[in-house]
This record gives sequence, C-alpha cells and structure tokens, in this order.
Amino acid sequence: MSLGLLLGVALPHSLAAGAVPSPLTVRVLMPASFADATAEPVKRFNVAHRDLQVEVVRGPLDGDTLSDLAVSGLLLGDTPYDLLLIDQTWTARYAAAGWLAPLEPLLGEDALDGMVAGARLATRFDGHLWRFPLQGDTGLLYWRTDLMDRPPRDTAELESISRRLQRHGRVRWGYLWQGRQYEGLSCVVSEALQAFGAHWWEPGRGVVGGRPSLEGPEAVAAVRWLQHLILSGISPPAVVGFAENEALQLFAAGEAAFLRNWPYAYALLQEGGGPVAGHVGVTTLVGAPGQRGAGTLGSWGLALLRSSPHPREAASVLRWLGGEEVQRHLAQRYGYAPTWTSLYEDESLQRDLPLLAVQRRALEGAVVRPVTPLYAQLSDVLQRQVNGLLSGGGSPAAAITTSQGQSELVLRAAAGTTG
Amino acid sequence: MTAWLLMLPALTLLAVVFLAPLARYAWLSAHATSVLTALEPVANGGANWLRLAQDGRFWQDAGQTLRFAAVSVGLELLLGLALALLLRGPRGGRAAGGGLRTAVLLPWALPATVMALGWRWIYNEPHGPLNSLLIAAGLPPYPFLSTPASTWFAVVVADVWRSTPFVALLLLAGLQAIPPELEEALVLEGADRWQILRRLLLPLLSPWIGLAALFRLAQALGVFDLIQVLTGGGPAGSTESLALYAYLNAMRFLDFGYGATVLLATFLLLLLPGLLWLMWQRRAGSAA
Repeated sequence: MSLGLLLGVALPHSLAAGAVPSPLTVRVLMPASFADATAEPVKRFNVAHRDLQVEVVRGPLDGDTLSDLAVSGLLLGDTPYDLLLIDQTWTARYAAAGWLAPLEPLLGEDALDGMVAGARLATRFDGHLWRFPLQGDTGLLYWRTDLMDRPPRDTAELESISRRLQRHGRVRWGYLWQGRQYEGLSCVVSEALQAFGAHWWEPGRGVVGGRPSLEGPEAVAAVRWLQHLILSGISPPAVVGFAENEALQLFAAGEAAFLRNWPYAYALLQEGGGPVAGHVGVTTLVGAPGQRGAGTLGSWGLALLRSSPHPREAASVLRWLGGEEVQRHLAQRYGYAPTWTSLYEDESLQRDLPLLAVQRRALEGAVVRPVTPLYAQLSDVLQRQVNGLLSGGGSPAAAITTSQGQSELVLRAAAGTTG
Repeated sequence: MTAWLLMLPALTLLAVVFLAPLARYAWLSAHATSVLTALEPVANGGANWLRLAQDGRFWQDAGQTLRFAAVSVGLELLLGLALALLLRGPRGGRAAGGGLRTAVLLPWALPATVMALGWRWIYNEPHGPLNSLLIAAGLPPYPFLSTPASTWFAVVVADVWRSTPFVALLLLAGLQAIPPELEEALVLEGADRWQILRRLLLPLLSPWIGLAALFRLAQALGVFDLIQVLTGGGPAGSTESLALYAYLNAMRFLDFGYGATVLLATFLLLLLPGLLWLMWQRRAGSAA
C-alpha cells in the first residue's frame, strides 16, 4: 500500500523533472544457485537494453523453501515478481491454483519445438503451456573408471560388479543413492519403476490429470530391488538417511563403485581433487535386464505470473532467459543440461563438455514424475511407504499396495472436497 | 463498567491476534479450499472433520508429538534442575561466574535450524563426529538417522541439548529467589543435602518447575523447525509432528481447508496441557 503511494507520488515527480521515463523492470524469483549462474548474462542484457531491465531476486537455495516463499506471496495476492523459476513438479499445482498465465498465446504453440523431446515433458497441463524449460537435468549414473573397464548395462551387472569389487576389498560399498524421506527418494523410486517396466502414473483427462498406476508385479519388483540393494550390502543401510550431498561425499571419498546423482556432481567429483578425481565416468541409469533404464527429469523452468502487470515484456524476458544464449552459458560454466537440440549439436560445446552426449541421451529418454496438481501429496505417500520399507523392513508388495491405496485416497479426498 | 473499559485495549488485542485467526481457521475448516477448487472456498459440510477422524496419519502424528514432548521435556526438567543446582553452587552462593552461565546458555541462543543442521552432521554416517568417535573406539559406525527408533532418539537428544539451558536458567532464577536463611536454618537443624533438596528447594521451586514445563510443553508440542531440518519427518513419517503435517497440508499440498482443520484440531489437543496446568495452579492456590 505504502509502496503504491510512494510510486504514485514519485513517478509524476520524476517526469516533471524532465527525466527519461524509467525503464520497465521485469522481476524474476530464482533459487540462489540459478540467480548466481544467470548473473552474467543478465548483466549483459541490462547493458544492451535501455527500456527493459531484468532484476533477478535471489531466493533460498532449497527448492521447497523457495516454493514456500513464492506461495506466501501468491496467496497474499501481492507478489512483486513477474517470472518465477519453478521445478517441473510444481507446474500443474501452480497452474491449477490460478497463479500462472498460459504461455502459448504470447510465445506461440510451437515455442518449444526446437527442444529435445524429454525437455518438453511436464511443461503443459490442461491444454496450456505453463513452463518454459531453462535446464533439462536428469538423474545420471556415476561410475569409477579406475575400478572397471566399462559401466554396467543393466541392474544385474551393476550388482555383480559391485559384489566383485566389494569382495576384493576395492570399495566398501557398491551403489549409493538417495533414500531419505524427501523428494530425492521420489526421483529414485520413479527411476526404479521405469527400470522394471512399471509406471507411477497414467496420464488422463480431468482436473487431476490421470490416475496412480502402481498395481502389478513390476512396481513391486522395483521397490524390492531398492530393498535388496540394502539387504545384500551393496548399498549402505545409511542410504535411507541420504540426500544428494551425503551420497556425493561418500562417493567422493572413494568408498563406492557407483553413485546416482544429478549433472552438477560431475564437476565436484572430477575436479574436486579428492581420491576419485579423474576417475569418474558418467552414463545413463540402468534398467533391469531387458528393460530400458532412465533418469528422472529434474528440469527447472520459467513461468509467467498471472498478476504480472506487463506480461508481454515479461514473456520476452522469459523467452530470452530460456533461450540458447543463456543456456549455453549455464552449460559451459555450470554443467546444467541444455534443452535446445541446437546446443547439443554444437561442435564447440561438444568439445568442451564431456557430459553433453550422455546428457542428451538421458534427456531424450527421461522419465517424468506425475503431472498433476496433487503431485506433492502423491510424492509424500510414496516417500513414506518406500522409506518405511527401506528403514523398517516389511514386504515390498505391502508397500506398493499401500502406496496405491493411499494415492487413490488422496484423489478421492480431493474429489470429495470439490463436491 | 470501568473495569471492562480499562480491559478493553487488552481484550481488543487478544481478539485481533488470537480470536480472529481462530475464527478464520474454523471457517476454513468447514470449506474445501485447494488447488482443485482453484483456491476458492467451497462449503463442504463436515467433510474435513470426517476426514480428520479417519486420518491415521493425523492420529499417528498426534501420538508421536505427545511422546516427543513428554520425553524431551521430562529429560530437560531433570537435567535443567541438575544444571541449575550446579550453577547455583553450595548454599545459595553464586559459584558460577557470568562466563560459565553464558556458555551454558549458548545452545539456546542458536537458531533452531542452524543447530538442526549441525546435529544432522553430528549424526552423519560415517563421516560425522559421533561416528568418528565410534570408529576411533574400534566400534562399527552406526546409521543414527536410518531407523525409526534411533532417529526418534536422535531428535530427542538434539532437543534436550538445545532446551535444557532454558530450563536451567529459569530454575536458577527460582533457586536464587529462595531466601538463604531458610536453608541455613535447615543446615543448623542437621539436614543433609538430599533433605534440603526434597524438603525445601523442590517445594519452593515447584511453581518455577511448573512454569518451565508449561513453556517447554507448549514449544515441544508445536515442534517444527528442528524436525523439518533434521529428519524431514522421516524415516517413514516416524518423527513427523502435528505442526509439520499442518504445514505440509497448507504450504506443500495447497489444501488450506484440511490444513486449517489439522491446525485447529492440534490447537484443541494442545489446550489440554494448558488446562491441566491451570487446574493444578488452582488446586495449589486453594491449598495454600
């Protein structure tokens, strides 16, 4: 209120003084890591454009905390931002809440046509385009080039290589991943489901956007495999408390043969100067014998807020931020996976970035988490059940049956509340 | 009439900061307000409350929250009392200097999230300090944050570490309010330390103990940041508190109708210890 008053007073005053009309500023809220990574191109943009300025607001580093901050502002109906950098899993929720403006009227239906297919996942919901992918990271498999000649081709090979290395005392553990009760576990489970030919979600019509599809022996086999990794000693019991960092530290200390992590880990491991530096290979995640493995899509993208007073300018900034120039910078300097096909085919980038080919393969086959406004609830259900199975014992079949039952309950409770 | 007029400012403040939010929660809990209603409130009768009654997770969290509060506050009172007696020194003197008292208070001064991050590192397997000690002693490292039982215990330990200083300080103030003559008289009568504690200090300290228990229970029953950072409610929801569940419903699931229902139900549950304390105070007051 007082801000509006201030502006109302200050604006005519500056005009009266004969000043140039102040440039239009588009404000973008991003997690701190992205704000830092885009700082240089944004600076260049602001120098080159006099009438349009981009102001990046450094949000918290943690995604959920950023979501809390954004949601608080949006709920109060008084958010100072035009653009929001959002996680792929928030897209449907934010769209259903009515906070976002559809992008296709401003950018055209073909706005994402130049992107790798996997990068276009979870950008649309309910017939509209809501999220413009800035980055196409996926889960990847890290392996030790000093311990094996080639990476495993399937889960069976991953197990046999791990066992052999453990037996010979070369490493203490085989495979490290994220088992803590948080979103990272949902990513791991969605990869395991894919690896065993199961699917978490069956897309469909309606406000919810589909139905949970965890029935069947494939889903049970997927979580049984995760449990088996711990019970057989290939993964340490402590993985059920691991997030990305804990797993990364243990792998960096040279204590394991394999690690599941995001692309950012490569630079830290390879150039970190630790025991594994120079001995780290990266490939796509493996599937069960005869199945296709895939990494979970962990893409962040830009969304336009409905409350933005100048959507046209904001959309042009969005298009620029998600464009080739900025993505090239992000890939070159920070290792983020691009989404544009042209960047993957760029020869100088291919030379500079050893991960680029793997990232493209992973992105093309990426597995997407359920695109629904109720995703947070579904993820919460699955996290609890699988984490319970991994930490407390019990049967994989029961964990899957309960997950499916509780997911259906979430949908019913939500349907009940809509009358 | 004048009395009411004089109380008016206080009552207004109470209404604005306390009753209005409660009324708002009550109203929200009678409506569906979620992403599926585009965040518009739609009256849904008692559907939220019916759901709550059948929500195993809410009742599980209620049990976990009560157990956490009872055990950690119990331990904090015991340790806090011991610490207060130590800081007080023999016979009402001021044995402990300001430096020592400041050092004791440090854990309390730390923001809960910072200290929770610190404890997450302390419990880290195998690199954390706790496991380094185990390994140095020739024992195998232990994954403290990996099983429900050990994680629950780990959370209690972290909370006790943080909150015992607060209890100790409060009880120290209480101890210093006891006239030294009383204790001197008892000593002259030949009472030993144990008798002094049981017959003199504890009875006179009981209102302070009650106050510390009330403060701490209110905080522990609403525990959020420590658990959010240390365990995220895991493993398998075994450390989830009611406050965390209410937060999840509102901020993560954007289900404000049900979130408000959980909050209101939690508030009603938390009223219990407050009422018990009031009753106990009444009885103590009428007995005196």
